[in-house]
Amino acid sequence: MDFTLNEDQLAVAGEIDKLAAQFKSSPVDFHGFALYSAELDKQLEDNQFFDIAAMPEMGPLAAALAVERLAQLPYTAEVALSMLLRPALNIELPRPIAVIENGRPGRFVGVAKTLIIIDGDSVGIAHPQAGDTQAIPESLFAYPMAKLVGKLDVQLLSESEADIVRTWLRVACAAEMAGLLKAAIDATVEHISVRKQFGRPLGTLQALRHRMAECAVLAGGVRWLALKAAWSADAGDAALAALHAQESASRVIYDVHQMSGAMGMTLEMDLHLWTYRMKALMSELGGRSGQAEAAGKYCF
Amino acid sequence: MDFNWNDEQLAFRATVHNFIKDNLPENWEHIAHGPASKEQTVFAKEFCGALAEAGLLVPHWPVEWGGQDADPWKAFILAEEMWMAGEPRGGQYMNVNWIGPTLMLFGSPAQQQQYIPPMARGETLWCQGFSEPESGSDLASLRTRAERKGDKYIINGQKIWTSYAGDADTCFCLARTSQGKGGISIFLIPMTTPGITVREIPSIIGEGDIHEVFFDDVEVAETARLGEEGQAWDIVGKALSLERVGIPRFALATTTLHRAVSLLKDQNRFTAGVIEQAAKAKAACEAARLYSYQIIDQRVKNIPTGAEASVGRYATVICERLVSEFVVEHVPEAISGENPMLLAHHQRGIVAGIASGAAEIQLNLIATQYLELPREPR
Ligand SMILES: Cc1cc2nc3c(=O)[nH]c(=O)nc-3n(C[C@H](O)[C@H](O)[C@H](O)COP(=O)(O)OP(=O)(O)OC[C@H]3O[C@@H](n4cnc5c(N)ncnc54)[C@H](O)[C@@H]3O)c2cc1C
Repeated sequence: MDFTLNEDQLAVAGEIDKLAAQFKSSPVDFHGFALYSAELDKQLEDNQFFDIAAMPEMGPLAAALAVERLAQLPYTAEVALSMLLRPALNIELPRPIAVIENGRPGRFVGVAKTLIIIDGDSVGIAHPQAGDTQAIPESLFAYPMAKLVGKLDVQLLSESEADIVRTWLRVACAAEMAGLLKAAIDATVEHISVRKQFGRPLGTLQALRHRMAECAVLAGGVRWLALKAAWSADAGDAALAALHAQESASRVIYDVHQMSGAMGMTLEMDLHLWTYRMKALMSELGGRSGQAEAAGKYCF
Repeated sequence: MDFNWNDEQLAFRATVHNFIKDNLPENWEHIAHGPASKEQTVFAKEFCGALAEAGLLVPHWPVEWGGQDADPWKAFILAEEMWMAGEPRGGQYMNVNWIGPTLMLFGSPAQQQQYIPPMARGETLWCQGFSEPESGSDLASLRTRAERKGDKYIINGQKIWTSYAGDADTCFCLARTSQGKGGISIFLIPMTTPGITVREIPSIIGEGDIHEVFFDDVEVAETARLGEEGQAWDIVGKALSLERVGIPRFALATTTLHRAVSLLKDQNRFTAGVIEQAAKAKAACEAARLYSYQIIDQRVKNIPTGAEASVGRYATVICERLVSEFVVEHVPEAISGENPMLLAHHQRGIVAGIASGAAEIQLNLIATQYLELPREPR
């Protein structure tokens, strides 16, 4: 057991932090729902960050740390599946990667070169062409959302490959959620430390302090479970991590919006970028009952 | 960062595990029904003696006090295995975790010689006299007085919720020698001292656990004081930091959850809604486990543990709650005595948010120290 980063992991974390620093504030004139950055994607690609998991001295744990860190940015790009799912499969998958689950719109579907097509228990892979997808700019989810409109050639995966896909989708979901939770909590802590009502900062009110503290406990737990699952690659660990992530998100999203008051409803405050990404992640792989079913199968 | 146990740790866990298996009697689960029942306390003495002989009672203590200088991982592995088995050490876990080490740091040579070797041999039981009727979370307001008379102190007052007091040999007792937080001192008081009366408090948490302890003109020698007058707050802070993670409650909670699930599976009752609750509880147990391990890792590396300890404690409260509610809802017969092990967990689990520092106090600490929110007005 070693809960601190080793030299290699620290080096990657340092590099990611450096890169992330350029994307840490949203543009002042931004009033949209999704804040996508092609530049963030390009820089990650140019610096070979999408290959961290495959590097022997790094591995998926370092990749999960990177996913968690990058998810805290107001900007988003398709990071988690490229960093965590792609290296786990013995199939060459061009990135970005997106998921279409039971025909529903998905995040990054419009920019994806690989689509994971999930229909009930079957999992397949397809490569969309121009015109196969259609963007949904009005979606509230703070990812670039798109739906499938064309008919694709889907290559079905074997059952064992499908299991691997589901496991790493869960790890990716949990690692990304951990970062989103942290960012949403940090933003809210800042808000209630500054915002005064009744002559004192809201953050001095115990009714809010305790809820915030509970949120922090949940968020940190999600992070540990995600990192552990990335390290073990175990289907049960992944199911628990994703379940805890979705469960914690449902609680934290509500609390951080409550504490942010009307300001949290505006596009001026970045909060929605994180909370609406969390809401998007909450439905993945059948939501909490889907993760619980997997945990039931693998953990008991 | 990695989550591997090394070979030495795995071997140590196996040794402890096998020792427990070989030394618990067949009716252990019935004996373990109350955390401090007479039967359990009697058995604990025998068990701790055997543990000591096998070098498994105080491995993390310094060699000069009968230990092996083992690192905090081993101490925690030991605690996990014990707690999973229903804590066959009984109240002696306190000696091992913090009372012994505190005496090593702050005791006089005479106090060390008198008290530490019997602890290392597993022969003695202590109780912790902190809480009072008017002083629970606000411990610094305690009122039990120790008045100096020549080279003696006369102690008057009352302690409450004192675990193991009925059978304890010695009390690690806080009493006031002057006003304020800086006016509290520690006394090591033999429980047979005239003027001490112990009364058990009937409770829902099992036989023999909590007590009232009355001190009526209890006379103790000056040499019974641990450290200087007024030093209690510093010493207790240090003592409790020795067990910042607290008891590895998640370990028994996990075992309990798996037991309950296996009972439900046998009855074909492990179905969708039930699975979902079990899975959530399991995830909470694992989160608490990893938080606890993180704190042990910090101790091994001498990284000061700040409010993470409270975060870990609160994560543990969450998992205890989910597991005990799971049992209540899906294996209710356990609460009516049909499964002593599940009942024992229930009775231990329901105090997780109260004993040794209430959950809300942990949340206050997390808000101030971890999230750095502005303080509440006093
Ligand atoms: C099984 C068991 C064993 C115990 N063993 C021992 C022992 O061996 N020795 C010993 O000395 N003590 C022992 N205790 C006592 C334990 O330390 C106290 O119960 C604990 O410190 C809480 O104090 P209290 O019970 O008086 O609750 P109170 O302090 O009255 O608290 C009641 C409620 O109010 C909340 N509260 C209090 N202050 C605040 C605040 N500032 N902000 C928000 N909420 C607050 C608490 O969180 C709690 O929810 C034991 C308790 C139990 C349950």
